[in-house]
Amino acid sequence: MNSIPILIVVLLTLYVGFAQLDQISVQLGFYSPLFAATVTGLLMGDVGMGLKVGATMQLMTLGVATYGGATVPDFLSGSIMGTAFAIMSGQGDEYGIALAVPIGLLLTQLDVFGRMANVIFQHRAERCAERGDDRGVEISNILGILPWTLTRMIPVFVGLFFGEAVVTAINQYIPAWLMSGLKYAGGLLPAMGIALLMRYLPMKKFFAYYIIGFALMAYLPSQFTILGVSLVGVALAAIYMSNSESKGAAAAAVGAADDMEVEIDE
Amino acid sequence: MSKQTTETLAGGKLTKQDLQKVYVRNLFGLQWGWNYETMQGLGYCYVIMPILRRLYRNNPEKMKKALKTELGYFNTSQPMSHLIVGTDAALQEELGIDAAEDALIGVKTGLMGPFAGVGDTVFITIYRALVFSIAAYIAMGGQAVALLIPIVCGVAMLAVRYKFTFMAYEQGRKLASGLSGQLKRLTEAASVLGLTVVGALVPSVVKAPMNINIVIGETNPINIQAMLDKIMPAALPLAIVVLSYWLLGKKKMTTVKLILILMVVGVLFGLLNTFFAPVAA
Repeated sequence: MNSIPILIVVLLTLYVGFAQLDQISVQLGFYSPLFAATVTGLLMGDVGMGLKVGATMQLMTLGVATYGGATVPDFLSGSIMGTAFAIMSGQGDEYGIALAVPIGLLLTQLDVFGRMANVIFQHRAERCAERGDDRGVEISNILGILPWTLTRMIPVFVGLFFGEAVVTAINQYIPAWLMSGLKYAGGLLPAMGIALLMRYLPMKKFFAYYIIGFALMAYLPSQFTILGVSLVGVALAAIYMSNSESKGAAAAAVGAADDMEVEIDE
Repeated sequence: MSKQTTETLAGGKLTKQDLQKVYVRNLFGLQWGWNYETMQGLGYCYVIMPILRRLYRNNPEKMKKALKTELGYFNTSQPMSHLIVGTDAALQEELGIDAAEDALIGVKTGLMGPFAGVGDTVFITIYRALVFSIAAYIAMGGQAVALLIPIVCGVAMLAVRYKFTFMAYEQGRKLASGLSGQLKRLTEAASVLGLTVVGALVPSVVKAPMNINIVIGETNPINIQAMLDKIMPAALPLAIVVLSYWLLGKKKMTTVKLILILMVVGVLFGLLNTFFAPVAA
């Protein structure tokens, strides 16, 4: 087994910093496990592996989002390292998923640390405001980039730099039966992403549509794809719209989000 | 849309560029300074800065007051924040910081809660249920083209957020109440679409094969997966999803605990599949 070339370690470290900024701003997608794993696969010469690890991690985390600033596991960094280790060891995508999940969980605390560190810059900004120093306030906000990115870049750099030792240790100390069990578990994890989405969407009111989607895909797997089912979904949504229109807009008063918010502690 | 002009907008003091600068800062910088004390407070002040500079450049006292006010606690959904920032700009331009201070704090704190609820539902939950679930489904089949889907939709979101900034500025405070009524129906229709897709995800992405044989007496071994398939295809994946859904409704349940539970169940199922694997006849 070869260690990861230093150039690739550096590129992936820069990528995770960039992706983290995407996560807290425009969210184009670079922050998602799907992109992170695919880019890792691309750089390490196995895009297919990246796509597979990324897709499963993505499905697992569909409902995992920082609602209201809650801390969630760092599956961005986890996906990068899991994919890299899977490619290095040549052990397949389940191996990558089985590593990406615990790594993401382990890194959770660093997110809390980064958000705490930013309190320093808030206080700096308040002192600047007392002086009427608008430029100082701006710089304080920009400095906030450092905790956000370093809490991701440092672990990814260290993890990949010592990647060979990490993978060797895993192979040595984790028994084969556990590893094969973990590989199976990778297939179950998307259930969590789906269940979380069901919690956040008005499932009780609209469960009938969920059943339609499930039934189409479960009984006609060779006829339907997800895109086909979403076309059916668009039609159902349009029917719902025109029905609710005729019922009168008066009922549709304030409080759009009241009945669809569910609190889940992260 | 982006025709360069130094003409002032309707209110008379702010220019189109001022608002465009605010838009760009809002896109990228709202959460750089996110912290446990004021959450997006620091970022918000950074976002609105071009407006403060334009209005209070030559008045240090007003600038001080505006900076302190805008640094206060703030937290909402990012795409929706444009509506609040736009309203803020209109208020300050019209009234100045001294007269607008109370209205400003009222608008910010009054809107951030409801906007966070709507925004999280539409722009995170439903957006991901559609965009990222479809992309991940395609990627599972090894198709790199899947990555284009989030990018294209993300770029469309940039346009929506641009529109939000200017809409809110032009309509000021009127906007908020009118919008939430319209949004309710749209959100519900989007939820219908979302749940249809989420239902279809269960059989296509959750993998829980139970390919094991159980021998009872002298009869032929019973294959569990074949039996389950006769009852309902994807019965086990559905059961696991429904169980997870139910568990997430429990008070003490967190996503981290659920991941650990799923891993343990997965390891057990994996072992069953290994030890009771059907023997090739």
